[in-house]
Amino acid sequence: MSGRPDHHARTARSAGPPVAGSAAAFLWLAPWLTGFAVFLLAPAAMSAYYAMTDYSLLEPPVWIGAANFAELWHDPLFWKACRNTVYYATVSVTLGAVLSLCVAVLLEMHVRGRGIARAIIFLPTLVPLVAAALAWSLMYNPEAGLMNRALATIGLPKINWLGEARWAMPALIIMGLWNIGTAVVIYSAALRDVPRALYEAAEIDGVSRLGRLWHVSIPCISPAILFNVMISIIWSLQVFGAPQIMTEGGPDHATYVYQLSVYEHAFRYGRMGYASAMAWLQLLATLGIAALTLALSRRFVHHRGAA
Amino acid sequence: MPQVSAGSTANRVSRRVALGALGAGALAWAAWPRPSRDRARAPRGRKVLHYWEKWTGVEAVSLQHVIDEFNHSQQRLWVVLVPVSDISSKAMVAIGGGDPPDVCGLFSYSVPLYAEAGAAMPLDEFPRHDWCGQDGYLPNVWKLLTHEGRPWAGVNTCYTLGLYVNRAHAREAGLPESPPRTIAQLDAAADALTRTVARGRIERAGFLPTLPLWWPYSWGVLFDGRLYDRQTGRATADDPGNIRALEWISTFPRRFGREAAGAFAHTFSRSTHSPQDPFISGRASMIVQGPWLANFIARHNPGLDYAVAPVPIADGLPDPDAPRGLVEADVLIIPRGCKDPEASWEFLRFMQRVSTQEQLAIAHCKSSPMGGGETSPKFLANHPSRFVGVFDSVARSPMADSLPPTRIWPQYADMLGGAFEAAWRGDDAAAALRDVQTRAQRLIDESVKMRARRAARGGIP
Repeated sequence: MSGRPDHHARTARSAGPPVAGSAAAFLWLAPWLTGFAVFLLAPAAMSAYYAMTDYSLLEPPVWIGAANFAELWHDPLFWKACRNTVYYATVSVTLGAVLSLCVAVLLEMHVRGRGIARAIIFLPTLVPLVAAALAWSLMYNPEAGLMNRALATIGLPKINWLGEARWAMPALIIMGLWNIGTAVVIYSAALRDVPRALYEAAEIDGVSRLGRLWHVSIPCISPAILFNVMISIIWSLQVFGAPQIMTEGGPDHATYVYQLSVYEHAFRYGRMGYASAMAWLQLLATLGIAALTLALSRRFVHHRGAA
Repeated sequence: MPQVSAGSTANRVSRRVALGALGAGALAWAAWPRPSRDRARAPRGRKVLHYWEKWTGVEAVSLQHVIDEFNHSQQRLWVVLVPVSDISSKAMVAIGGGDPPDVCGLFSYSVPLYAEAGAAMPLDEFPRHDWCGQDGYLPNVWKLLTHEGRPWAGVNTCYTLGLYVNRAHAREAGLPESPPRTIAQLDAAADALTRTVARGRIERAGFLPTLPLWWPYSWGVLFDGRLYDRQTGRATADDPGNIRALEWISTFPRRFGREAAGAFAHTFSRSTHSPQDPFISGRASMIVQGPWLANFIARHNPGLDYAVAPVPIADGLPDPDAPRGLVEADVLIIPRGCKDPEASWEFLRFMQRVSTQEQLAIAHCKSSPMGGGETSPKFLANHPSRFVGVFDSVARSPMADSLPPTRIWPQYADMLGGAFEAAWRGDDAAAALRDVQTRAQRLIDESVKMRARRAARGGIP
């Protein structure tokens, strides 16, 4: 008999007791499970402990119970960071969803050059964040930036985009909207998956183009919308790179977002315990918002084929 | 059909076994202990020391020259320079994680935290050998290297700030040859030198304290304000001098327009030290900057006609000729847990020689942190900036102050930055500083309490 198991032997093994199958599954999953436990679960557990301590990384932690959370409650910058993050997330997620959906719908129309347009829209997602942030900083320059030149050509006054508290956050949101390529691709794929028969039926019933979009396309692609919105919410609640590079949280803390505050406390102020408390609150808030979004989705999301 | 003999089947290696063997081989190769690249480059028999430093560019090149000198001056050690960005946080993680470098270049404000946490080794634990000790440093610099009476760091150049004045602009505006010495003279010169165009847009700034906004906490000292009481260990953010300083700051947006001044300053936020730097390009007539600006002027606009003076002080202060300002320094520490503290100490001592620090100061265009007596004429003669004496006089001045020796300084500094911005937007400066005072003092009290608890558990007292 050869050393290789024959087909019957393999079939017999796969039909063996489930325990043996589970062991094999765990064996194959072991690298991922190990990575998950070592790099995510254990640090998360440690951070939960550090959240209850005074810990600077350089000294042993000292147990202080809920004192970090009590301090957070009285920290005006904590609330400022919360407000800024909610503002950023609300506006960027809403505008991002609407804009990417509109662009995807436009790209699905039969027009020349849509392949090139799709590539151009996707291109920014390939640009590293640091390079993009620096390029946008230059574009927002009050004197020589492209944005103000564009405003000047239509007769509008110049804006100190990153230097004025009221404009800095909108500037970051606009920059974020530049990066809708991934969402557009997902919407495009979902739009192509909408059954033609539904459009034809709506057309026969005399439904307008806008009506078809509203009553056919959007319900059919609502799972994709849910996915994109969910991912955008999670990412926007963790926004860090652009404010760190472009404004460092200023001016006047107008772009001081939550993640920036966590980073500063952990690595600039040497207050890892306080930063851990912030991180845990952020995790809980994100989970809560995600759960709420999922609960709402039951009412608005249409799953084709679902009972 | 050809038959496969039993012997040939036994000798056949399955694809899975071959791939497994290949993978195991690759893992073994990756895990096999081998000398690091630095170790391999070091001459045989030398102990390799890793020195983390934040400097890059010209500053790193001059530092490498000094390290090369050390490496060639003896046969036992070999120092490898590791440029590290965002060094404060990375050093914290490395030392806290038990894998520190052998020598680490930090900022002077890190000394209190590292000292209290026991993360740096006190230098008085080592045999003194040829180390100069307190007498070898400027008193203001020595303050930065010590914490609670013990030295925890060596110096690695120091700096103060000065007022750079474009003399061509001053002549053109009919201003006196000598730079302003008081705040009133500075204000008058700023008004005379500022040029605005349509809609109040600033074409050329006479002087703006937001250009650049790097030291928002430094203005109080010019009004005799203090940020910290070393005797009581208390923050003094709401010191009357600090309040007067921020009230003065709040006059700029009123005089030049908040939006116009803000837009002008922000235009240059990414061009400091480049050919488009506001002072180097002639868009700002006066600017407060460190001594290194002379290096960049020489590189980008060597024909610029300028002068440097101590930053003007408030009218009515006891002695307008006694320069005031904050002295800051880069420091070198020996991290607790490094593999050979004695070897690190040998290199750190080399870095503390007057000749080494003067060599670095000349390359970085700074004044020397060393010397209990007068600055050596040779150093001044060889220095690339003819105004180094101005910075030297501030660093030596008994009226100069240094950063508060408290571990919460980075957070305190950010709070003071917030108060600066509040004053800029027209809020009550005194109220903003009182708020900073309350918050900063709470943090100081908390850190003292935690330190006591750690000491009670057998930690560092």
